[in-house]
Amino acid sequence: MKHWIRLNWIAFQRTLGGIVRAPLSSLLNLLVIAIAAAFPLGFYLLIASAQGVIGKLPVEPQLSVYLRTSVTADEINTLKQHLQADTRLAGVRFIGKDEALKQMQASVGGGDLLAGLTDNPLPDAFVLTAHTDASPESLEALQKELTASSGVDQVQLDSAWARRLQQLIAVGKGLLQIILVLLAVALVLITGNAIRLQILTRRDEIEVAKLIGATNAFIRRPFVYFAAMQGVLGGLLACAIVWGARTWLNPAVEALARSYGQQFSLALADWRVVVVTLVVTTLLCLLGASLAVGRHLRQFH
Amino acid sequence: MIQFQQVTKRYPGGFDAVKQLSFEIQDGELVFLAGHSGAGKSTLLKLIAGIERPTQGAVLVNGQNLARMRRASMPYTRRHIGLIFQDHKILYDRSVFENVRLPLDIIGFDHREAKRRVQAALDKVGLSGKDALNPVSLSGGEQQRLCIARAVVHRPSILLADEPTANLDRDYANDILELFKSFHQVGVTLVISAHDETLMADYGRRILRLKNGQFSA
Repeated sequence: MKHWIRLNWIAFQRTLGGIVRAPLSSLLNLLVIAIAAAFPLGFYLLIASAQGVIGKLPVEPQLSVYLRTSVTADEINTLKQHLQADTRLAGVRFIGKDEALKQMQASVGGGDLLAGLTDNPLPDAFVLTAHTDASPESLEALQKELTASSGVDQVQLDSAWARRLQQLIAVGKGLLQIILVLLAVALVLITGNAIRLQILTRRDEIEVAKLIGATNAFIRRPFVYFAAMQGVLGGLLACAIVWGARTWLNPAVEALARSYGQQFSLALADWRVVVVTLVVTTLLCLLGASLAVGRHLRQFH
Repeated sequence: MIQFQQVTKRYPGGFDAVKQLSFEIQDGELVFLAGHSGAGKSTLLKLIAGIERPTQGAVLVNGQNLARMRRASMPYTRRHIGLIFQDHKILYDRSVFENVRLPLDIIGFDHREAKRRVQAALDKVGLSGKDALNPVSLSGGEQQRLCIARAVVHRPSILLADEPTANLDRDYANDILELFKSFHQVGVTLVISAHDETLMADYGRRILRLKNGQFSA
């Protein structure tokens, strides 16, 4: 055990020796890894931020049916029964004009604005919920049909835009998966190539070491250490890059959100995301290193 | 003990570097290997070190047949052998000290013990005080001494030297041979190859003469 620790300590020192002998190429390689890892990480955080906002929006398509002010209680009842029987609808809720006024007063936050009104200007309304999987076309057909019903003034199709946003997020997620796979492959290739170059520059050392009794493990260890170091440091640097980009962008994004009356800011990577990033980059770098080492060490006997 | 039994080494292309060789070298013996270049001296040394495997026959080193040894066990066998290469194989990207320490790193010596041994080996070959230098700044003779220090630093029981006196003037070559004699005196088995037999004659040891891969009189 002690011997094993010593061998690994020696390998660690040899790794540092390699970095000290070629600091610039090690640094450049680290930057390439960091930038490659920063792309999916940043994109992931962007999507997570957007989803945080959009996730709060209602997903089921809603239709608001506003009735004429002249509507009679009989007409309301007939319509209600008609709507409740409709299988295309998941929910039917009636909001009378009095209730609507109360709701409005509550959301405006004071009676002052409405106190001056002698009459309630709001119409009676139905809020209909369609099934989540209803197609936009069927909803538009429903909207037309309801507009033609007696006593109905206007039918508004709500939350179609929310659905579109959600679909956009789904596209974004698909894109993220593609970016992840491509950059994972890139990371493996980058590390593999870096290790290949290291093996070439250290081929004299490898040859001599093998001749005087080095095991394959002894030869392999510094390269594995190098890859692991690049993975961890590259992952950390990627987090730093994303953090920097977020700090740079956030004021502009917040200002944009405010202009829409929304609270929105880009998410920060929490410690779990950082850990996952480090683990993934390290594993990919190790994979690249082991492929390169396995392939290029066969030429030494 | 080193024992060759009917050893033939055929290189790809059909050239037999060593043909049907049989001989024995006792523990602690100092043997010279003579012959022109291309006679098979280097191949013979490589067969003892397990760098080349025989095409036919058995190579026994300390009772183990290298011809049948698993590749994974070979590194541990090589650690009993010190090698001085014809082309030196010095690493010019590190100091004299780090060159000599390489065999100890491979075995896994602890830092302090390794430092002590490297200093002792450099002392022995007369390079003390030059440990921090880059090997490029050493003379040809000093580079040869550096190779010897690296070959003996882990105290191997067998020392193989391929043309250690080539390209050295007479006095310097004698110094090197004296150095080998001192290893012989402490019980190391030595096999030294050279194409110049006049040097060996002074030492009155056994000489194996090779010609076209076979012993000649």
